[in-house]
Amino acid sequence: MAQHDAPATTIPSLPDGLVAIVKKDCPTCVLVAPVLADLADRSALTVITQDDPQFPQDADWVVHDTDLSLSWHHDIETVPTLLTVVNGRPTDRIVGWSRPEWEAFTRTDSLGVDLRPWSPGCGSLSVDPTIADQLAVRFSGSTLTSRRIEIAVLEDDWEAMYDRGWSDGMPVVPPTEARVLRMLEGTTRQPDDIVSIVPPDLVECTVEKVAINAVMAGCMPSYLPVVIAALEAACTDEFNMHGLLATTMPCGPVMIINGPVRERLQMNSGVNVLGQGNRANSTIGRALQLVIRNVGGGKPGGVDRATQGNPSKYGLCFAEDEEGSAWESLAESRGFTDGQSTVTLFPGEGPRIIFDQQSRSPESLTKHIALALRANISPRMAMMFDAVLVLSPEHMARYRDAGWDRNRFLEEVSSHLVLDGDDIVRGSDGIEEGMPEFLAGSPVPKFQRGGLLVVHAGGGAGLFSSTIAGWVTGETGSVPVTKEIIP
Amino acid sequence: MTTVLDPTGELSPQTRQRVARPESLEGLTIGLLDISKPRGDIFLNRIEERLTAHGARVARYKKPTFTKPAPVDLRHEIASQCDAVIEALAD
Amino acid sequence: MHDINDLERRGIPGVFTATIEFSEAARIQSEALGLDVARVLTPHPIQDRTDDEMIAIADQVIDELIAAITASA
Repeated sequence: MAQHDAPATTIPSLPDGLVAIVKKDCPTCVLVAPVLADLADRSALTVITQDDPQFPQDADWVVHDTDLSLSWHHDIETVPTLLTVVNGRPTDRIVGWSRPEWEAFTRTDSLGVDLRPWSPGCGSLSVDPTIADQLAVRFSGSTLTSRRIEIAVLEDDWEAMYDRGWSDGMPVVPPTEARVLRMLEGTTRQPDDIVSIVPPDLVECTVEKVAINAVMAGCMPSYLPVVIAALEAACTDEFNMHGLLATTMPCGPVMIINGPVRERLQMNSGVNVLGQGNRANSTIGRALQLVIRNVGGGKPGGVDRATQGNPSKYGLCFAEDEEGSAWESLAESRGFTDGQSTVTLFPGEGPRIIFDQQSRSPESLTKHIALALRANISPRMAMMFDAVLVLSPEHMARYRDAGWDRNRFLEEVSSHLVLDGDDIVRGSDGIEEGMPEFLAGSPVPKFQRGGLLVVHAGGGAGLFSSTIAGWVTGETGSVPVTKEIIP
Repeated sequence: MTTVLDPTGELSPQTRQRVARPESLEGLTIGLLDISKPRGDIFLNRIEERLTAHGARVARYKKPTFTKPAPVDLRHEIASQCDAVIEALAD
Repeated sequence: MHDINDLERRGIPGVFTATIEFSEAARIQSEALGLDVARVLTPHPIQDRTDDEMIAIADQVIDELIAAITASA
């Protein structure tokens, strides 16, 4: 895709000097009509009317904002708005009616002395929800450069999108211009900014393309920065999205969210955290997968060669329960502060359960978790595969009660995760698969250093935790990547 | 009509593509769907002869009326039994 | 046309045969369906043709029909 120049849309100029933006369908504007006439006379006010071209009266100082272009481009949200305009651009503004404010703003005394001194403004016609989308498409649609595709009259929208290969098999929301423009309001980045080069086709992916796919996935505009950060993380050399896609191992990008954004997006870190039902959790992970599918061209059976795949490849995204945790968060353990919002990408399979309802001591629970983690990928594999441990609140309580912190836990669990080379080398126990023979006789840690990521999530009762096993770690595979989410 | 923005890298044409075609008809089953207009059968009989000469097998189908799309069951039957289909003959 | 459109959706290559009278209708219908349905046109009319004439028409279009359901070299 070519890069595009800045949008050619020109912003229409306002008349210089004092300007009031009003509509007749606003009691406050009607209330101040005599003040407007007074200011036109005394301070050369220009009135811009949104609805009735002869409001407040038929005069040469009244201009009709016929297509609401002036109101839209100059971000008028309330009427009346009083503006000071220099070189066609507003330099200062006040909204609503307040005699002292108007007198100070216009440097004019005795304004509307017969009127009540204060009255709130009304919504500008340019932000009326029934037409705001049309205005956005009319005035900023031209900033979008993606190809327009007309779905034929006899085609069903959803069938047409499916037929074009744009879906993971589940319904997608039609990415109309109005929806995409709304989505783009979720970020401060420009639509033509390049986010990443997306594998496997190595296509330059713009913010606009991410927004289109986020619409299709069902995201709200506020989720867009998370999807963008996740895409940046996925397309790093370390995470190696291309390799993860192309491997026959059935793994995909798993997203773990930390920081204030969790609350803002009302993400789920509690009951059923790894399951369905929360919009942000369900759609953010999916949006990333749709970008890889649609922009990158990575489709199952094409470059995606996963032998069996796994259900988390529809998009697995969840938030850590930081508030309910006794420990620092995953992001903090990876060098971020609790005020930063982050996404951590892990190349994972689906979650599996660790069942422990009897351990009363942290020692017992830790030994049991370690035993379960030995099965990560295969009990005969060591060092090559990372894991995420999703610790539930009732398991976390064991550690809180005993005063264990994250480091204590990691030390203890690692001490139970040293395997005997004799048990896991090729050919031992009559099993041909295993680690290379030279490890016989040596102790072998199950995980490389930093290869066990621990997150606290889940809700209410339940003495279960979960593990998510990873694809090959290190340079030949994929390393977990954490990125800050920037609005 | 809905206008949507292309979510792809725009490396391929925007129209819906016809499905991939086989390289030859040798050994394939070709469905001949008669839309039930007079004399279409004579036309299709000849088409069958010619296809058979090309090494294809031919399966014949007839929809109840040319005024409506074929019933779902018939389309499913064709899709599960044939490698390609020729529909004839509208006038 | 709807039948071929549906069969293409099911992964079956298809071609639709009609007389030239259908040419414009078929084009419009194709646009409406969002798929350029493969079609081969024959002379019009056909209902009053003799068997020999019908066979001649079939012979005239058979190569085009085969081309429409096979990959071009």
